Amino acid sequence: MSAPQRFARVDWPVFLLALVLCGVGLLNVYSGTRVFSSSGIPLFYRQLVWILLGAGFFFFFSFLGPGVIEEMAWRIFIAVVALLLVVLLVGKVRGGAQRWLSLGFFNFQPSELAKIALVLVLGSFFSEMYNYGGIGLRDLMPAVAITLVPFLLVAMQPDLGTAGVFLLILAAMMVIACVRGKVFLLAGVMGAAAVPGLWFLMKDYQKQRVLTFLDPGRDPLGAGYHVIQSKIAVGSGGFLGKGYLHGTQGSLRFLPEQHTDFAFAVFSEEWGFVGSVVLLLLFLALVSRMAYLASRSQDRFASFACGGIASYFLAHILINIAMVCGLFPVVGIPLPFVSYGGSSMLTNMMALGILANLSRTRFTFPPAETRPLSV
Amino acid sequence: MRGRIRKREQDPWIVSRIRILQWIGLGLFLLLLGRLYWLQVVKYEYFRTLSENNRIRIRVVRAPRGVILDRRGVPIAETQGSFDLIATPVDIQDLAGGLRLLGEVVEFDPEEISGKIILEKKTNPFRGLTVARDLRFEQVSVIEFNRESLPGFSIMVEAKRSYPFGPEFAHILGYVGEASEQEIAAARGERLSMGDIVGKYGLEKTMGDVLRGVNGGRQVEVDAAGRDKRLVDEIAPRTGGTIQTTIDAELQKVAFQEMEKRAGSVIAMNPKTGDILAFVSTPAFDPNAFSRGIRKEEWTALVEDPRKPMQNKGLQGTYAPGSTVKPFLALTALEEGVMNPKATVFCGGSFRLGNRVFRCWKEKGHGTVDMYRAIVQSCDVYFYTLGSRLDPDRVASLERDAGLGVPTGVGLPGEKSGLVPDTAWKRVVMKDRWYAADSVLLGIGQGAIHVTPIGMLSGYAAIATGGEVMRPRLVSRVVRMDGTVEEFPPREQRKLPWKPENVEFIRHALAGVVNDYGTGGAARLPGIEVGGKTGTAQLVTVKGKMIKSEHLPYEIRDHAWFAGFAPVADPEICVIAMIEHGGHGGSAAAPVVKAVMQEYFRLKQVAGKGGGR
Repeated sequence: MSAPQRFARVDWPVFLLALVLCGVGLLNVYSGTRVFSSSGIPLFYRQLVWILLGAGFFFFFSFLGPGVIEEMAWRIFIAVVALLLVVLLVGKVRGGAQRWLSLGFFNFQPSELAKIALVLVLGSFFSEMYNYGGIGLRDLMPAVAITLVPFLLVAMQPDLGTAGVFLLILAAMMVIACVRGKVFLLAGVMGAAAVPGLWFLMKDYQKQRVLTFLDPGRDPLGAGYHVIQSKIAVGSGGFLGKGYLHGTQGSLRFLPEQHTDFAFAVFSEEWGFVGSVVLLLLFLALVSRMAYLASRSQDRFASFACGGIASYFLAHILINIAMVCGLFPVVGIPLPFVSYGGSSMLTNMMALGILANLSRTRFTFPPAETRPLSV
Repeated sequence: MRGRIRKREQDPWIVSRIRILQWIGLGLFLLLLGRLYWLQVVKYEYFRTLSENNRIRIRVVRAPRGVILDRRGVPIAETQGSFDLIATPVDIQDLAGGLRLLGEVVEFDPEEISGKIILEKKTNPFRGLTVARDLRFEQVSVIEFNRESLPGFSIMVEAKRSYPFGPEFAHILGYVGEASEQEIAAARGERLSMGDIVGKYGLEKTMGDVLRGVNGGRQVEVDAAGRDKRLVDEIAPRTGGTIQTTIDAELQKVAFQEMEKRAGSVIAMNPKTGDILAFVSTPAFDPNAFSRGIRKEEWTALVEDPRKPMQNKGLQGTYAPGSTVKPFLALTALEEGVMNPKATVFCGGSFRLGNRVFRCWKEKGHGTVDMYRAIVQSCDVYFYTLGSRLDPDRVASLERDAGLGVPTGVGLPGEKSGLVPDTAWKRVVMKDRWYAADSVLLGIGQGAIHVTPIGMLSGYAAIATGGEVMRPRLVSRVVRMDGTVEEFPPREQRKLPWKPENVEFIRHALAGVVNDYGTGGAARLPGIEVGGKTGTAQLVTVKGKMIKSEHLPYEIRDHAWFAGFAPVADPEICVIAMIEHGGHGGSAAAPVVKAVMQEYFRLKQVAGKGGGR
């Protein structure tokens, strides 16, 4: 296949939406960090490099041959689990948690990559298990076990926020893979029953820890303070915003994380309600396009994986913005493409590339004996 | 794009399931839009005001540290309120001027403080930091009176560590201070932030994770002058856990009084349980001075004092044991069958080895002595003889088993082991062979040997119990912040296979030291049989002359030791006293041990009488 042909078959709407969001993020990183006198290359340029590298990742993954990603799914997952183990053993400690692997030039966070790996593995598993009666409880158990591996490893870092995303991905993919309705009911009842049971078994100090994990707002000096300041930033933006580079909360550095997890607060203060709505609509369009690609595909693995990736983005967007608006406890979940950060940018672009690759399967018709059409 | 055929090839169930997720997502998006509308349109005025003035401030409410109790439940470390001067970096308009004004009333290091404020202004400008602690009432009133000219500075009531007994418990409890940058970095998951108080020494340090509470905080709205106007949110601090020690505050008091004017250490322990009843090291320091923030000149004075008040002499000081080792040599001789206790040695005042002469402390000599007399009279010539006949490695091994020259693991920072030399040590460390003179000197606890007072105490406790070595115990019970209770029962470290009749003989001889016209008569108690041994560790020898220690300059005077236990028949208290440059063990150290034991039995009697209440 020639290069122009390949480019012609890339899913441009998804990529262009992502690029627009990256542009918004880049401007926002500039505004959020211009008052920093940080040493080395300004974060603006670093983010630019991440975007360009990310675009490379996107094309690399979207140009992979048909079937390659499904074949690689398990190997990627095992490699990522190994990385998570390495992080626990030798990872870099920042802010009390062991989440990063130092690669010299940048600190890599394997838990980001683990989310995508989980999507692929679950997609592969569910496409094997799929049947017209719906996936039952017994068939579901291995999927739960698979999810628990990265969940526990990340929860031990400790990063319960990211660990929670694994459960959300599992839940979303259970919906997409047509797990029986009864199973959801059962899972709901069991979950509701397990919480007070666990609570009763836990020691007082463990409860305290869990509470602080779930709601760092209990610590009014740290995270709770950030949320108040973040709400002030968003609220004081008003209808039209204070104007680009005119945000005051941001320039006063009220948040140490204003260019990463709290990037939306900086944006929202400067661009107001109107800007926030536009950004939300861009995200909505991105996720809708992903959902469309997922439902359009005729290959079950592709459908499930694309649906999983769409859910992954949806979860990140919703949780991050809810957190900034004070609707959700503070957890370390970045806003896709907008927050500063190498691991998250590369992972998101990779996810997008995989999605673009898989969504193409409808055009390819592999030999019937290896890939029977599902009818 | 979506041809009919392709659409039919899709699985309609999967499509409908994806549709469900889409609707859920859309709903949540709408919820967020609603929230944004609420924040940015409805509550706009409110947030704009807050934003324009940046009026939310954060006030740390530092958690009080947990209480430390003595064995009866008397608090020996507690928390008091103190007026602290707090700076809120963002509200400070004239840093240099403000600090200059404050410098007239309060003592602090202006350079250090302004550096901190400038640093925090960049990272945490809304968060108060402590400039000075524990202000006096006059200082508080002067500052409050001048508030208008000091924007950004305020007085807050904070928790301060306080030690009701002052220097008495200095070396057990240690002291606290602001966490250093390294400590904050090392805390990892634990929340430890700048200005937090942590233990720096003693139990405050080793039990720091139990004692430290969880800070609370207040978010307040302030007016233009930085004064608190309205409480936005508050979380109460949590007090740290409680620690019950084995120390008896009343016994400690007597021990401290005895030692106050001298340098050295007194430790009292129950040999059966290992419970430390009193632990004094002098000169001491007042830990309260550290709680309020120690001044530079105070610190310099402490560090430069030649008598080393910051050193815990009980476990960081190592000294030649002198005659206090003699019972261990005698016991080795009995255990190894090298010397019959009835066998006699003639002491004519000196012992000759080749052309070297080793003198007895008694110039005229003790005449003919057997083992009992030799211990009672502390005859050097007998023990020179014994030392030269015993295998030095056997002696060293028995002494180490008893606890000499090894850390006891009492659980205080910086415990030294000291040194009990043997031939291997001489060969490997000193690169020399073991000479006969080494053995001779070993007999009277001179030469390379040096031990900590607590190590020696452990050895005498082993004699008192007949070979049961208990781990010294300072903390008996911990009640953590969440209410979980942790008990630390007495722990036997090892049981030595000493023959009971041999230990009994040694105990009998040690009783003779005190009660049978021996060197330790000053430790005698009416009605209770005390056993013990004196020791006088020579620092210098003056050739050919016997000079009374009292006539030497202080720095080269002998160290005085006394180790004792009572009652001899069934020992329940074991006390060691080591007085640096104290002179003779019998005259300087024995009375201290006597005073501590007397108080112990008096307290016991009082408690016995009170028991009927």
